[in-house]
Amino acid sequence: MSSQSDVRFTDFKSDKQPTWCPGCGDFGTMNGMMKALANTGNDPDNTFVVAGIGCSGKIGTYMHSYALHGVHGRALPVGTGVKMARPDIEVMVAGGDGDGYSIGAGHFVHAVRRNVDMSYVVMDNRIYGLTKGQASPTSRSDFETSTTPEGPQQPPVNPLALALAAGATFIAQSFSSDAMRHAEIVQQAIEHDGFGFVNVFSPCVTFNDVDTYDYFRDSLVDLEEEGHDPNDYEAAKEVILDADKEYQGVMYQNENSVPYHEQHDVTEDMSEIPDGAPEDAMDLVREFY
Amino acid sequence: MAEDLNWAVGGEAGDGIDSTGKIFAQALSRAGRHVFTSKDFASRIRGGYTAYKIRTSVDEVQSVVDRLDILVALTQRTIDENLDELHEDSAVIYDGERSWEADIPDEITAVDVPLKSLAEDAGGAIMRNVVALGAACELTNFDVEYLDESLEKRFGGKGSKIVENNKEAARLGQNYVQENYDLDLGYDLEITDNDYVLLNGDEAIGMGALAAGCRFYAGYPITPATNVMEYLTGRIERYGGHVVQAEDELSAINMALGAARAGARSMTATSGPGIDLMAETFGLIATSETPLVICDVMRSGPSTGMPTKQEQGDLNMTLYGGHGEIPRFVITPTTISECFWKTVEAFNYAEKYQTPVYLVADLALAVTEQTFPPEAFDMDEVEIERGKIVDDETVDEWLDEQGRFRAHADTEDGVSPRALPGTIDGAHMSTGLEHDELGRRTERQDERVQQVDKRNRKVETAQEQEDWDYREFGDPDSDNVVISWGSNEGALVEALEILEEEGTDVRVISVPYIFPRPDLTEDVEGAENVIVVECNATGQFADVIEHDTLTRVKRINKYTGVRFKADELAEQIEEQLAAEVPAQ
Repeated sequence: MSSQSDVRFTDFKSDKQPTWCPGCGDFGTMNGMMKALANTGNDPDNTFVVAGIGCSGKIGTYMHSYALHGVHGRALPVGTGVKMARPDIEVMVAGGDGDGYSIGAGHFVHAVRRNVDMSYVVMDNRIYGLTKGQASPTSRSDFETSTTPEGPQQPPVNPLALALAAGATFIAQSFSSDAMRHAEIVQQAIEHDGFGFVNVFSPCVTFNDVDTYDYFRDSLVDLEEEGHDPNDYEAAKEVILDADKEYQGVMYQNENSVPYHEQHDVTEDMSEIPDGAPEDAMDLVREFY
Repeated sequence: MAEDLNWAVGGEAGDGIDSTGKIFAQALSRAGRHVFTSKDFASRIRGGYTAYKIRTSVDEVQSVVDRLDILVALTQRTIDENLDELHEDSAVIYDGERSWEADIPDEITAVDVPLKSLAEDAGGAIMRNVVALGAACELTNFDVEYLDESLEKRFGGKGSKIVENNKEAARLGQNYVQENYDLDLGYDLEITDNDYVLLNGDEAIGMGALAAGCRFYAGYPITPATNVMEYLTGRIERYGGHVVQAEDELSAINMALGAARAGARSMTATSGPGIDLMAETFGLIATSETPLVICDVMRSGPSTGMPTKQEQGDLNMTLYGGHGEIPRFVITPTTISECFWKTVEAFNYAEKYQTPVYLVADLALAVTEQTFPPEAFDMDEVEIERGKIVDDETVDEWLDEQGRFRAHADTEDGVSPRALPGTIDGAHMSTGLEHDELGRRTERQDERVQQVDKRNRKVETAQEQEDWDYREFGDPDSDNVVISWGSNEGALVEALEILEEEGTDVRVISVPYIFPRPDLTEDVEGAENVIVVECNATGQFADVIEHDTLTRVKRINKYTGVRFKADELAEQIEEQLAAEVPAQ
């Protein structure tokens, strides 16, 4: 494994050219993830990236690391398994709003509860891009698409509130176009002792003409500039439930977070096993006397 | 075979039937007797009818029979449910002081024991079942001292006072029968010096997993597989492993997949409804070439079916389930001890061939406890084969010109090198998309064909290199071949004895491998009668045999939710031997 000083963020880039549309927010999201991984002393050989299905899911191909591009919506359980088996490996899970808040919503809630020490970066473009423009769980209620001509007519999921309700220990939001802040926020998620969740505004330039770069640039409020204290649960609740503004920054961080591996004493490298049955294995048989 | 005794305790769910039965089974085992248990139970926490049945002999017992000698009945329904199996030498132990008026046929000996009052004398009404056990000891000439050890095992954690009270309760039950009844039913439970262990199929699977180095288990509770998870919890930690109760089976299998990609020997266990959900991820496991053991402890389906009843209905699901064409192994242990050994094998095949392995057991194996000599689980015999794992040095052999690791390299035997996370220069991706040798998405026709062929070649290699033998019983030269898979083996072996006494020779082939599987063409072609026995309605394995051998076979199917019994099987085999072969 290379030492920290050798690693540059481009080491995390594969030689495969992304097929994302020119201008896609996912380029910026991925760059920030790679920078954050490099800045935290990781290298591709000790990093495992798990990706779901959708435009966002392609990220495993464009990054260079150990990676699995899995089944739609199940990226978090895969990441959970990797981290439990190998606490020494840096695990980052990436997905989209459909992957994480629709088909994978159940896993999201439980991954938050488990507080496994990994990061979860959601590329939220408020649209289904890869299937060419249908409503996503974060689409606005009046957002007209091919399958919702009048708009979904349902309130969008607030993933931050969902995380808070499930007992999250780290909740943040970033904007893929604000490269420096986005990378910083993802880095904080990696460094957090537990489940670091970042919802990233990652605009879809082809199918979403509402939640655009311009929209986020004009409306985004940076919590750091606002003097928000992420350790203040009540303040966090307020910004998370504020439906009138789009925020960037770390909304909430529980300083007393106890990650899963500490809570459950899961610290061994599970890939190492003896050549035969364990030495005391006959004791397992004798238990049945 | 030596004389066997068939004993049962029955009542409502919540009456402690299971633990009462287990205490008696353990006592018999400690006395050097063989034991085979079965359970009648329902999917409810309280009420209804539940029973724990024991067949015991000094010889090996591996089946249930239609005969009940001693019945401890806590409810009238227990008597009614078992009337057909009671006979003139049977005795029913019941508590006449309780509110129900026992209705017991005259020819059956009714032994009225004030279970509750005697239990109160010993220290508490809760021990009434143990009083009944003492009474049962007296009726079977079985030394009540053998109960002591299992009472200690069961209640030791609750303090010596509780243990002593229970021992006293047993003696009060024994004495009561001795003093108030002058009975000789002819039962005399012989003691031997043999040492046996007593365990069920789920426990054998769990123990096999630990012996094989399984370090990660993720699962979602479901009857009758939950016991695998319960066994591993509290034990796997001793070896640095961990059990996670996932939010659903979708999550469970994906967690197990993640741990396997990280290099852990990893498994999940479920039953049919869970297998349906896991099918979503099954193809990914195969295309990403991840070693994973998925255990299906079958129960009666489809849908919720009869959750606490026996069936072998998932053969097609495990053999063919999932969209697209998915290479796999399907292993079906035929006995409780084989549940252990086949689990060890499953882990080795999974890693050697980087292919998902379905380990398919069934309810009859899972909830049945059976005695074995401890040597049946000789841990020195356990071999671990991890396949082609590369390290920091050997990884170089598998890098392409640009230094990229070829995780899905096309090799002669189809098996690619495997780099675990942390291996320097081994970083690679894997995916459920069709991919090239580097694991990156492709839709090129040549690469598609290369990868499909490569994955299938692994199974062909395994087919050639490993033993896919069947187990054989009875007369090897017989023209009458009976083929079975899974848990029917025990009942068939005992049916053989009955058939032999009647002068009918039969050769039994018990198949523990569904895919790859032994080639039975010659066995089938050379036989006059071929009968396939299975616990399902349509004959899923019979279909496979007909497909393989291009020969019509006769079928014995049972789908009542109850396992085969030896005597009924013997009778049905006789019937089928006399029947016409189905038209081609």
